[in-house]
Amino acid sequence: MDGAPNSQTEILVETAQAEPVTSLPRWSRGALLRSVFREERLFLVLSVFIGIFSGLAVVCFRFAIDWCRIYLLGSGFTLSTTRMLLAPSLAGLIIAVLVIHVFPLARGSGVNQTKAALYIYNGYIPLRTAIGKFITAALAIGSGHSLGPEDPSLQIGASLASALGRRMKLSRDRMRLIAPVGAAAGLAAAFNAPISAVLFVIEEVIGRWTAGILGSVVLSAVSSVVVMRWFLGSESMFRIPPVQLERPSELIAYSILGVVGGFASVAFSSGIATLRPPCKALPRWTQYFQPAVAGLLIGIIALLGAPQVMGAGYVYIDEAMHGQFTWQMLAILAGLKIVATLLSFVTGTPGGMFAPTLFIGAMLGAAVCGAEHALLPHLSGSPGTYALVGMGVLFAGFLRAPMTSVFMVLEVSGNYSIILPVMVANTFSYLISRGLQPIPIFDVLTRQDGLDLPSTEEQREEGVLRVEDAMRPASDPVLDAEETLEHAVQGLDEKSPDVLLVRQNPTGWSIVTKQELEIMIKEGKGGEILSSVLAGRQVPYLHPDHPLEMALRYVDRWALVPVVNRADFRKLEGLVSEHDVLARYRDFGEG
Amino acid sequence: MAASEKETGLRYYLKREPLILAALSALAVLAFLGVSGLSRIYHAQQAALGNRWFTRGEADLKAHRYELAVNEFRTALLYSRDNYTYQFELAEALVGLKRTNEAYAYLINLWEQEPENGLVNLELARIAVQRGETEEALRHYHNAIYAIWPGDHEVQRQNARLELIEYLLSINAKTRAQAELIALAENLADDPSQHVRVGDLFGQAQDYEHALAEYRLSLKLDRHNPAALAGAGRAAFLLGRYDLAQRYLEAAVAANPDDTPSADLLKTTELVLKMDPFRRRISVAERHRMVIEAFAAAGERLKSCPAAGNLRGPVSSGAQESLTENWVKMKPEITVQGLRRNPDFVEAAMNLVFDIERQASAACGPPTGIDIALLLISKLHEGN
Repeated sequence: MDGAPNSQTEILVETAQAEPVTSLPRWSRGALLRSVFREERLFLVLSVFIGIFSGLAVVCFRFAIDWCRIYLLGSGFTLSTTRMLLAPSLAGLIIAVLVIHVFPLARGSGVNQTKAALYIYNGYIPLRTAIGKFITAALAIGSGHSLGPEDPSLQIGASLASALGRRMKLSRDRMRLIAPVGAAAGLAAAFNAPISAVLFVIEEVIGRWTAGILGSVVLSAVSSVVVMRWFLGSESMFRIPPVQLERPSELIAYSILGVVGGFASVAFSSGIATLRPPCKALPRWTQYFQPAVAGLLIGIIALLGAPQVMGAGYVYIDEAMHGQFTWQMLAILAGLKIVATLLSFVTGTPGGMFAPTLFIGAMLGAAVCGAEHALLPHLSGSPGTYALVGMGVLFAGFLRAPMTSVFMVLEVSGNYSIILPVMVANTFSYLISRGLQPIPIFDVLTRQDGLDLPSTEEQREEGVLRVEDAMRPASDPVLDAEETLEHAVQGLDEKSPDVLLVRQNPTGWSIVTKQELEIMIKEGKGGEILSSVLAGRQVPYLHPDHPLEMALRYVDRWALVPVVNRADFRKLEGLVSEHDVLARYRDFGEG
Repeated sequence: MAASEKETGLRYYLKREPLILAALSALAVLAFLGVSGLSRIYHAQQAALGNRWFTRGEADLKAHRYELAVNEFRTALLYSRDNYTYQFELAEALVGLKRTNEAYAYLINLWEQEPENGLVNLELARIAVQRGETEEALRHYHNAIYAIWPGDHEVQRQNARLELIEYLLSINAKTRAQAELIALAENLADDPSQHVRVGDLFGQAQDYEHALAEYRLSLKLDRHNPAALAGAGRAAFLLGRYDLAQRYLEAAVAANPDDTPSADLLKTTELVLKMDPFRRRISVAERHRMVIEAFAAAGERLKSCPAAGNLRGPVSSGAQESLTENWVKMKPEITVQGLRRNPDFVEAAMNLVFDIERQASAACGPPTGIDIALLLISKLHEGN
């Protein structure tokens, strides 16, 4: 034998064995596998560093916002008229100049930019973007623009991670994944909620669950939260009053909140979708003044009696939770915050949408609570409970991240008894929002920016073709591996297919062609059993529920792939060939 | 070609992996130190600002400028969101503004953090009282009584219990108030005024025996304490122990001549003692004089309250005639001779007097002067 094949059968067997492995030399393959393993390990370690650096950056970002607020708006709870009007307007002017001339990529919230980095720019986000975002968003939020620090933190984290990845000269695949890792770290530190951050990044930025990235995302999120807590304490974002659901019938009251929140989400996202393009289309010189005009208008709203709409508004969310406002005032605040946030966002002022979303949700929730209590005084839910549910409702309806919305509320409240109201209300809100505004706001924004990024929601709802959609019934004869070749050939006639399936013992499948059988018989192997001549020629099998794209991996190498039952691998459910799969895809495309 | 390029890239950093990790660690440490410095500056500034606004708030709270105090405490909380004292003072200011719902939200949050805090429990109890939530109020009052207090916790606990008792009395829960008073009385310090206060509360709870005991304890510590003397006189009077009441009330009036209520009570007591024919150790002649005087007073009462005169005596007595008819019928016998002739008329006459006073009191309102004394005597001998 001296290593050279001496018959056609041996050639077949050797080819079949060689197929699944790469064409690299043996020593090189091992080195590569080890290297990949080490790259993965390094990537995990790097995720921890990304988390640390992002956490530190977010801590500094928080300091910067607070310092801006103290020096621009004053240290008191009550703002002076002059500061109320001047601070956001003048800061708007400075921000416009910075965004136009120095940091053009700092515009907007940052979520879409991070997504674009993943899908378009191979994970590249310039470090300058992080610096720009840091400065301009801190100025905007600190001066009273109605925006939040979470989305900028996400982008700062992503940008830092990207810079680190570039310095490390990571492979293209890893570079693509590094931006979401940093994004999760930034968001987790800003939110003090690692689970929600991980879920959001997976739901909204990456768009799919992959085991390869999950570990890194979790590590970076956790390490950034640890860093953030080190400097800013481990207290949750809000002081949550006791939460209780005394009667299941009260879920109806929460579902009303879900409906109200759904409509509010639609109003909010429609406002942004409608007003942003005309603002962008205005002459270039107006862009120097747009953030300033927005700031002035927000100042006027504050002056007219609603200073709560200025800035991120977490203090007022806390107050709403503690029943500090009448329900009428809460409803007005929710409406005015929508207006203020629209003004800030559509004029391109850098800053996030998370905080305003939470603010609107909390106010709306507490307002609905007040109104319901006025009608039905026996309801047990407190304004704090409703405000908390309201935050989840807007998160689900406006940001369209249903899973994140539930976990965010749980993480922020630390109370699992609220899960039922949150789930019920969020479902209503999500369904109404999706029904009335089919495209989620982040996708609207990317399309307005001329990009086409994969939409998580569209992917989620896309029809999936499965193997069962393409397989044909197993009507052809199946040979038994224990039969002799002669016996097997005796059972065949002219109508029998050229490629035959062989059932192995105890499990497994092989294929053999009629021509091969005839050759082997001619070579005098007619008395041998099939299993001995087909040793090593295992054919992979599929299950009916496998995605059809999985069949594509096999059908080009094997003429026939068996589709077997999941409970009994010897039970044949059907067969697929390349022709079947392509025909099904063609039909699907035409349909 | 592509694979080998990839391998070169991998090798590049695999060789430098330890170096990179060391560099990253060093960078992280440096960044950490830098942010620590910033953090110290930030937190020091936040603490200073919080303290400044809190001090202003405290001053305004003391001056009852609640609106300003609320704003200042809120500002202080901006810089130290979870500061317990700031939150508590804000709640106090909100209570001052009568915004109890808001105050409650803050206090319940504090209570969750420290359920054993006496101040918070007491404030929550007060809010529950305002809201009319009795069980909630009692729960928080009891928490406050057994809570941890700053400073002299015994005094604070006692004050909390006193407040609870006053609340129980205000909602007419006298039995519960008595139980709390008994517990309170057991731990009282040797302070005459405290015993007087507890005695007063026992009196309000209609537990005159304990009230008298407390006044006596107070008098043991200060035998000339006018409040204790007056209280003891009043308690003895209400217990029907008129001899004792007379002694205390005389002493009370002597100690404080301006004590009009005690003086009035003393007059009534003296009248009761003067008019009661069933007292021991009095002569027959005096007894007869008392009966005649009482009978005459009852007749006057009937004249001033004709509505009572038309009524019959109690059904249990089997009286068929009206009180006036009875009185008129009996009048000729109620003389010194008549009573001496027939001593049984003493009791019959007094029974009629008691009937007249009771019915007149029911029909024409509370009596005055001698009629009060007769009514009290009737109560004293009720069932005998």
